[in-house]
Amino acid sequence: MTSSAVTHTDAALMAAARTDPDAFRELYGRYAERVHGYFVRRTRDDAAAFDLTAETFAQAWLVRARFRDEAGGSAAPWLFGIARNALLMSVRRGAIERRATERLGLMGRLDHAPATAAPDETWADGADELLESLPESQREAVRLRVIEDLDYDRVADALGTTPSAARVRVHRGLEALRHRLSPSKETP
Amino acid sequence: MTDLSPSLQHLGDALHRATTRDLRRAEVPPRPRRRRRMVVALAVAVVGIPGVAVAANALLSPSEVAQSIPQGTLALLDTHPTCTTVTEAVEYDCTLHAAPSDQGGPLAGQWMGTVEPTVDASKHVNGGCRSLNAAGTHWRCYIGQAAVRQRIIGAGFLGQYAPGPGVG
Repeated sequence: MTSSAVTHTDAALMAAARTDPDAFRELYGRYAERVHGYFVRRTRDDAAAFDLTAETFAQAWLVRARFRDEAGGSAAPWLFGIARNALLMSVRRGAIERRATERLGLMGRLDHAPATAAPDETWADGADELLESLPESQREAVRLRVIEDLDYDRVADALGTTPSAARVRVHRGLEALRHRLSPSKETP
Repeated sequence: MTDLSPSLQHLGDALHRATTRDLRRAEVPPRPRRRRRMVVALAVAVVGIPGVAVAANALLSPSEVAQSIPQGTLALLDTHPTCTTVTEAVEYDCTLHAAPSDQGGPLAGQWMGTVEPTVDASKHVNGGCRSLNAAGTHWRCYIGQAAVRQRIIGAGFLGQYAPGPGVG
């Protein structure tokens, strides 16, 4: 699956990752630095950023079957949605979110002391900067569909529109995010 | 693929080992149904172990699910939930007839996507809910392992003793 001669899309890697840890490892290689950078900028704590990066990819592995290619083959909006949720959940609970890493037994495989930083509300500043860059109608549609994982009927209910209109808003929003998250652009 | 720092390279290697192990574990054939039924029957028969609340989720009515919501979260006390069944013993659609308070929860209007545990009458965590609107008055609740699969609660939290509603 992970032939170095062929560059697979993120979506192809995610499809393969259902049964192939090598494919997931390749996806990790594409995004680990950017996800880690996202957390460093928000927590200003390297150890906390490292733990949250681990949690993000552990969660992504555990829910990989729910990934849908809705951003032109890019997994970036989905992955950063998971990262955002891990950050906000940590702030909300007052403790770094580690449930997925614990479930995978991941931290026990690392020679790494858990971060001791206590999350505070400043960590959440800017967590939604990408989404906030979208027009309001697209922002909420993307949030409901990709981050909250609702189906289009429920997205439409929440937005007071039709499922097909909700689908269009999500598509346009994800296209915009995909463009902003492309490797040649500044990371979120 | 970008060049990773040594620490992220190390994390990637550990993640690869963990995911490989997780995949192998998932491929282990399930135990025969007969044995599983016996385990559930034993759990129901023994009073006082945390697993009882979980094992008994098939017996929950929508009103019992509704009662479980405020028991899990302080901010949802006195919200008078009612629930309807989406999937028997698994998924429930719940409406709160009063808005959540600000006691430890998100600010008003910021409940969308918030997840909260539910706690049964024996004060054990029996599932969890996700808010479907910003007001926090419309929730989708999952009982037992369905809440774990939905990533609302951790597997280790299900069945834990929870003597009072949680904050935050």
